[in-house]
Amino acid sequence: MAALPLEQALVLAALLFALGLAGVLVRRNVLYMLMSIEIMLNATALAFVAAGARWAQPDGQVMFVFVLALAAAEVAVGLALLLLLYRRFGTLDADALSELRG
Amino acid sequence: MLENYFPVLMFIAVGLVLGGVLLAVGRILAPHKPDPKKLSPYECGFEAFEDARMKFDVRYYLVAILFILFDLEIAFLFPWAVVIPDIGFFGYAAMMVFLAILVVGFVYEWKKGALEWE
Amino acid sequence: MSASDLPILLPAYGEILLLVLASAILLVDLFLPERLRGLTHWLSLATLAACFVLTVQVVRATGGQAAYTFGGMFVADLMANVLKLVVYAAVAAVLVYSRRYLAERGMLRGEFFVLALFATLGMAVMISANHMLALYLGLELMSLCVYSMVALNRDSATSTEAAMKYFVLGALASGLLLYGMSMLYGATGTLDLTQMAQVIAVGQVNGVVLVFGLVFVVAGLSFKLGVVPFHMWIPDVYHGAPNAMTLFISTAPKLAAFAMAVRMLVNGLIDLAGDWQQMLVVMAVLSMALGNFAAIAQTNIKRMLAYSTISHMGFMLLGLLAGVVGGNRFSAPDAYSAAMFYTVVYVLMSLGSFGMVLALSRAGFEAEELDDYRGLNQRDPWLAFLMLLLMFALAGVPPTVGFYAKLAVIDAVIKAGQIWLAVVAVLLSLVGAFYYLRVVKLMYFDEPRDAGPIAPGRDVRWLLSANGLAMLVLGVMPGSLMALCLVAVQGLYPLAR
Repeated sequence: MAALPLEQALVLAALLFALGLAGVLVRRNVLYMLMSIEIMLNATALAFVAAGARWAQPDGQVMFVFVLALAAAEVAVGLALLLLLYRRFGTLDADALSELRG
Repeated sequence: MLENYFPVLMFIAVGLVLGGVLLAVGRILAPHKPDPKKLSPYECGFEAFEDARMKFDVRYYLVAILFILFDLEIAFLFPWAVVIPDIGFFGYAAMMVFLAILVVGFVYEWKKGALEWE
Repeated sequence: MSASDLPILLPAYGEILLLVLASAILLVDLFLPERLRGLTHWLSLATLAACFVLTVQVVRATGGQAAYTFGGMFVADLMANVLKLVVYAAVAAVLVYSRRYLAERGMLRGEFFVLALFATLGMAVMISANHMLALYLGLELMSLCVYSMVALNRDSATSTEAAMKYFVLGALASGLLLYGMSMLYGATGTLDLTQMAQVIAVGQVNGVVLVFGLVFVVAGLSFKLGVVPFHMWIPDVYHGAPNAMTLFISTAPKLAAFAMAVRMLVNGLIDLAGDWQQMLVVMAVLSMALGNFAAIAQTNIKRMLAYSTISHMGFMLLGLLAGVVGGNRFSAPDAYSAAMFYTVVYVLMSLGSFGMVLALSRAGFEAEELDDYRGLNQRDPWLAFLMLLLMFALAGVPPTVGFYAKLAVIDAVIKAGQIWLAVVAVLLSLVGAFYYLRVVKLMYFDEPRDAGPIAPGRDVRWLLSANGLAMLVLGVMPGSLMALCLVAVQGLYPLAR
C-alpha cells in the first residue's frame, strides 16, 4: 500500500486549519471558540508531522509532541478564564463582552 | 488505485457486522426484565434533568484542568523511555529537570488546596 | 578564550538561574507566614538583579560573540544579551512601580511575582531563540503568563473581559504563527533558523510554500507587536487590565516581540526580504495612521496610550523594512539598529508614562481619565515636569530621546530610497504630537479637578525621576546606546560577514 502523498496531508491540514479559523471567527460561544483554536493547533501539528515525513526527520514529530503539550497548557488557561467569565457575566456569549469600547 | 481502499472497506464491513451481531446476541440471550429505573437515561451518576447544557460543579473543571496538564507529561516520558539507552546522562538529567519542575507545580497545587474535594 | 573552552550551557546561564529562582520563589511564597509576604517582592527584585549581573558576565565570557547551546537552538549573541538586560531592568521597574497599586487592591500576592518572572523567562527564551521550537515555547510561556496576569483581579468584570479577548486573539495568532512555521519547515526541511537561511540562500526551495508560510508568520508576528491589521486587542486589553498589568504588557513584551521579528525575518528569512518588506510597509503606514488618529478621540489615558503603542510599533517597523535595498544588505545594520534603538526607547517611555498613571492612582482611584491630569502642575510640579518630558519624548519633540529615535528610523528609510514613506511618517507623527501635547496643556493650563493626595512612595518617586530625566539625558547623548545597538545588530548571523 502506497504511503499517503505529502500534498494530501497538507491539504487536509489546510482544510482543518481553515475550519478552525472559521470557527473562531464565526462562533459566538467562547467554549466553541476554544475548541476551534484546538482544531487549528492540531491542524498545524498534522502539517508538522507530514513535513517531517517528507524530509524523513523526527523533527516534525518532536514539534507535534510540543504542540500537543502547549495546546493543553493553553486550554487549561482558557478553561480557567472561561469559568471566571461565566461567573462574572453569567453567559458564554462573546457578544456580551462589550464593556470595553472606543 | 481503488484497491488501496479495500482494507478500509473491510474494516467498515467487519465493524458493522460485529456491532450488529453483538446487539443481536445480547437481545436474544440476555434476560429481558425492564423496570422504570433501568429504562431511565443514566449518565455518570447524575440524575438526568434539563438538557445536556446543565451546569457542572465547578470542581469538575478544576480537576479536568489539572488532569490535562499532568496527564500530558506522558507524551514526553514515553519517547524518552524508548530511547533512554542512547541519550546518556544528559538526556536522563534533562528529564529529571522536567520532572522536578512538574513537582514544583504539584507542590503548589497541593498546598493551595486544589486537590481537596471539599 | 575560544568558544569551545566555555561550559556548554554558559550562554543560557541567565535563563537557568531565572528558572531556578522563580520556582524557588513559588515554593517559598507558599510557605511564608502572612506577615512576611512582603518578602516575595524583594526576592523577585533580587532574582532579576542576579540575572542581570549573570547576563553581564555571560557577555564578558563570550566577548560579545554569538555563542550557541542546546544544539544550536539557543543563541546568546550581543543583541540577545542587550535586549535581555533591558527586559530584566524593565520588569524590575514594573515591580517597583506597581507594588503600592497592587497592595491597595489585594493583588500583591505571590502569583503576581511568579507569573511576572516566568513571563520574563519566556521573553528571554524568545529573545535567544535560534530555532522555531524554542521561539514558540518562549512565546507561549510569556503569553500564558500574561493572560493570567490580566485576569488576576478576579472581581473585576472588565479585567476578565480583557483577559478573555486577549486569550482568544492571542491563541489565534499563535496558531497562525505556528502554521506558518510548519509551512516553512515543509519547504526548507529545517527548524533551525541559521540552517533555514542557508537552505533558502542556496535556492531550490518551493517558493510558493515558502511565501505561503511567510504570510502566516508575518501575521502572527504583527499580532504580537500589535500593528494594524492585528491590533484590535491592544486598546481593550490595555484599558481593561489593571494598571499594573497594562504597565507590564506595554513594556518588556515589546522587546521580546521585536526580537522575535528579527529572529524570524532577519536571521531566518532575510533572503525573502523583498517579500516581507512590502507587507511591513502596508502594516507600518496603516498602524501609524490608525494609531495616531484614533488616539485623538480618547478620553481615557490608558486607551490613548494603547493607540499610541500601535502607532509607535508601526514606526518601529519602518526601521525593519529599510534594511535590504534591491537585494543588498549594506544599509541593514543601520536600519535594524535604528529599529532596535526605537524599541528600547519606546519601552523606557512607556515605562515612565504608565508608571506615572500608577504613581497618581490610589485606593479607589485609578487616575486613568485624561481629566484626572488637569492642573497636575499645581498639585505636584515635579511629577508634572516628568510627565511633560515623557509626553515630549513620545511626541518626538527635541531635545528628548524620542526625537532622536524617530530621526534615526527616518534616516534609515530615506537611505533606503523610500522618500514618500519618510514623508508620511513625519506627517503622521505631527498628528500624534497633538494628543501628547494636549496632556501637557491639561497639566499646565487647566484647573485641577481632583483634590486627592498624591503620595507615591519615595522609591517610586526616585525611579520615576530617573526614568523621566533619562528621556532628556539620552536625548542629548544618544551616542553610546545607539553604538551599542549597532554593534549588537552587526553580530546577527546574516549580517556578520
